Amino acid sequence: MSIDRLSIAIVEPSSIVWEGLSNLLLKSQHHFAVCRFGSVDELQRFASKRQFHLVIVNPALIQNRECEFFRIRKGLPDMVWGAFVYSLFDSELLARFDFVISLTDSVESIVDKLSSFHAESVHDANSSDGLTEREAEVLVLLTKGYSNKEIADKLNISVHTVISHRKNIVEKTDIKSLPGLTIYAISKKLICLDS
Amino acid sequence: MYQTHKTYIKPSMRMSKLINENPTLLLMMEYFEIDYAVGDKTIERLCAENNVNMSVFLVISNLYNGFYPNAAEVSVDDLAVSPIINFLKNTHNFYKKDKYPEIQNYIQQLYQHQDKEDIAQIERFFNEYFDEVIEHLNYEDEVAFPYFCQLLKSNPDITQSKFSVREYREHHTDIETKLSDLKMLLLKHVSLKDDFTLRRRVLYSLFELERDLNIHSTIEEMVLLPLVDEIEKHKIDEHR
Repeated sequence: MSIDRLSIAIVEPSSIVWEGLSNLLLKSQHHFAVCRFGSVDELQRFASKRQFHLVIVNPALIQNRECEFFRIRKGLPDMVWGAFVYSLFDSELLARFDFVISLTDSVESIVDKLSSFHAESVHDANSSDGLTEREAEVLVLLTKGYSNKEIADKLNISVHTVISHRKNIVEKTDIKSLPGLTIYAISKKLICLDS
Repeated sequence: MYQTHKTYIKPSMRMSKLINENPTLLLMMEYFEIDYAVGDKTIERLCAENNVNMSVFLVISNLYNGFYPNAAEVSVDDLAVSPIINFLKNTHNFYKKDKYPEIQNYIQQLYQHQDKEDIAQIERFFNEYFDEVIEHLNYEDEVAFPYFCQLLKSNPDITQSKFSVREYREHHTDIETKLSDLKMLLLKHVSLKDDFTLRRRVLYSLFELERDLNIHSTIEEMVLLPLVDEIEKHKIDEHR
């Protein structure tokens, strides 16, 4: 997969901490895109508009609202959740996060930790956006109007696998609509006009 | 240097300075029907002189400056509905009569130096997409907006209406995906040659349109819809 930027949502009330953290991340050797949110609710409201790979939350915003946090987390299953800690918190609260970083951590260790969640994908940015043979087959059948089920039957794979190929096709090409993908397939000579 | 600071627009700021920082505000002023010759006027004075609802102006201009409104800022009153609708209608006009035809025209010009088959594909994709956009915009202008205006009347007859805010929310179609596809096709996949100037113009146009459409749908979803939702609930309660 080729995502060349890891997009991070930072939920942090302190401007000083936010400015510092986002500056250090943006100037590191990895590629990050950073957005700030004032609260977890605000992040949730934007979830349909924008996808994030990682969310970094100040645990103070979660304290005493664990149930609600759990519900919001469940609604956004694709995101990895981390805590940014600069005061004392209950270890039980911190256990609810996928990772914990602290104000006293070195910049390198924070960056390494964040990029470890998408290690291959970020380093992969230089590889071509070319589709695998299987993905190309799925794409061709899609442009011919076959459904997921029909494609699965034709290629002898599960519907689940077809869906995962489709997801990869969209991620690699940055094209989401079927008419758009058809033009892509024509321009890459996967199909020709008369077929 | 990395500058995170954006200007959060406030009533006492001078418009000319803000336009200097973010020229896309010019397009926004066109939607508000305010003349560009702003002299040294502050936002407050400019709005008063042009009869523009200032809370609406602040929410929208801050969107253009990159600030998404929070719940407190969106709580503009009923008076805001007509100015917002007026604003959105002007954006529709701009898309229909100016921006989309401009892109259509550029695509026509691409035929001169590019592979005819490739461009024919792109053109067909664009034309189909353009038809969808027109349908979407006309539906808002002819069905949704008149209903919202109806809600504002003192005793609207909405119990008989088949249309509702909910209906609108459910049928609020996405017109941004295909635009992004077109942009990515031209940027990444379809191999075009020479014609740098023309290709740059097409892409600039697509980027400009994409950003404006994004703001446009944010206004609908985060400002207008919560507002008319509230008004509709209130009117239905009154009716009981």
